[in-house]
Amino acid sequence: MKGRLWIGLLSLGILLGLVTAFRVFSTGFVLYAKTDILVWTMPLAAYIFFSLTSSGLAFVSSIPIVFGIKRYEPLEKRTVFLEIAVLMAGFVCLIMHLGSPLNVIYLLLSPNLASPLWWLAMLYGVYLAVLLASFWRIQTAQVSKTLSTLVFLIAIATSTALGWLLGLPDARPAMNGSFLTVYFPLTAFACGLAAVLLFSLAYARASGNPNPTSAAQADLYDEVAKVFGVVIGVTLVLFIWRAIIGGVSSSEVELGAFRRMMQSLSFQTELWLGLVAPFVLMLIPSVRVTTWGKVLASLLLLVGMFAGRLEFILTAEIMPFGQLGEGVPQFVSYLPTISEVLVALFGLAVMLLLYTLGERYLNLDGTQEKSEAGT
Amino acid sequence: MPKYAMVIDLQSCVGCGACSIACKNENNLSEGIFWSSKITETVGTFPNVRYHYMPTLCNHCEDAPCVRGCPTQAMHKLDNGITMHDTKKCIGCRYCMYNCPYGVISFNWEKPFKFWRDDEPVLKGCTPSPQEVVRKVNNGTATPYYNPARAETLAGARPKGVVEKCTFCDHRVKRGELPYCVEACPANARVFGDLENGTHEIKFLLGKFRAFRLKEHLGTKPKVYYIRNFNPAAYDRTKGGV
Ligand code: SF4
Repeated sequence: MKGRLWIGLLSLGILLGLVTAFRVFSTGFVLYAKTDILVWTMPLAAYIFFSLTSSGLAFVSSIPIVFGIKRYEPLEKRTVFLEIAVLMAGFVCLIMHLGSPLNVIYLLLSPNLASPLWWLAMLYGVYLAVLLASFWRIQTAQVSKTLSTLVFLIAIATSTALGWLLGLPDARPAMNGSFLTVYFPLTAFACGLAAVLLFSLAYARASGNPNPTSAAQADLYDEVAKVFGVVIGVTLVLFIWRAIIGGVSSSEVELGAFRRMMQSLSFQTELWLGLVAPFVLMLIPSVRVTTWGKVLASLLLLVGMFAGRLEFILTAEIMPFGQLGEGVPQFVSYLPTISEVLVALFGLAVMLLLYTLGERYLNLDGTQEKSEAGT
Repeated sequence: MPKYAMVIDLQSCVGCGACSIACKNENNLSEGIFWSSKITETVGTFPNVRYHYMPTLCNHCEDAPCVRGCPTQAMHKLDNGITMHDTKKCIGCRYCMYNCPYGVISFNWEKPFKFWRDDEPVLKGCTPSPQEVVRKVNNGTATPYYNPARAETLAGARPKGVVEKCTFCDHRVKRGELPYCVEACPANARVFGDLENGTHEIKFLLGKFRAFRLKEHLGTKPKVYYIRNFNPAAYDRTKGGV
């Protein structure tokens, strides 16, 4: 009964998403809170959130196979499947962000190798294909080290190239490309760890098969939580330096947008909910070893990081320049429309449904019986 | 091969906006879209205030960030230096808008010419609806004042989901005509020509005056130059005081 209700809820999310898609493609993007100033908004932020989380999951899934730390093997199958589900959510949001998705054919026919966006599109295409192949090998108990290594390398490339994409343009000095190419993969890893903890522990409990089932498994999750805490800590340090350098000590006009965003809800959510709170939770040993502590910290981090992806995009845009600044305030504000929220929920519902089906039919707890290193 | 550029004489420019209106007509621009626009600024506090007006358009940068970033080469350079857009190849990612340091690229958020698609008469029982007018005047395509010449090199009216921007009226330049904003400027404040031609008037202007370009420090090498500045105000010479 509970399962049916869950599937029903997810189907409703997908249905609402499909209706939104139909409305967006028939009427245009007037349904989004977009202008020529705010050209990228929540649908793209959702895409960045999902795709970075997927890269982070790839980092986690590479631990047992690429780096040979065998005790992480029980996490492998679930993590790779999650990667696929999360990536599909990213694709959903990307399609909802684009105006003429059918023209993507020109990415192949008329490629521009100087464009970060072209590289990202290509890499994500290859990423999905390699991921599917990798999962299939795991499913048939023939784990391929080559495919897993490829997934790991592509995940590094995509998460750093996203930093290149947002941070490259000289037109947006508030975005620092060198910072983003470090910050994005780092936070991707944090999101990956959070997703693994959340889905392994919370989802399993909700579906009536609580994890961990053995002392070894409990130790493994405690270890993941420790790594999780360390990664959040490093992220927090970077985040604070970004705030000090760009927001407090610099008086550069172009960084005005960042100083403004520091007061925004998305920035504060990212800092307090997404970094400080989970870090504190993971710092306290008695909380860290509990399931609820791990689940809560993971959930908070993911919510905070979603807000963070939006904050990064808005930082680049809220200060209009040139002729765009005619007749508008020095800073523009942004409030997502219902359609934009539905796009993010559409992505989430697709991901959760895929994951639910995976849990139900693919035995994601299963460990590989046979491992063919280097095949 | 010519390399086209424009010089805008700020002393001659009276800020009438004729360039922007001419551009809208020539290029079939939809509501809210301006390929030719302006940056205005009011400085000082009353009674010592002054208003500055600077016409703007795509700078047709030699090293154009929009071209570098476009994943499908929809935004590209022509041999004559014009930064051109191919509507068919555009996937609507808006990365060119994100990359452009001048904010001169617009996106078609919805189907163009919303007003002309309206089937409500402006005055009930008195006037036809905009849609009826379009049907009668132009076989139901675009607007009653649609310029078919624009379609020679670009979609005559750009569909929803793609970007658009100034093309230096490449369709006119191809025929040996000046961009329409240059033609329409009543003050001859816009001078258009070939930078490769050593005897061309724009070479003279660029040599004679200390021209500047927008955000030169970015290294985009814009091809729209500004010269002089209009300020007839006089003041009593003084050394100030403490
Ligand atoms: S919106 Fe169109 S022209 Fe602009 S970068 Fe994307 S594909 Fe190129």
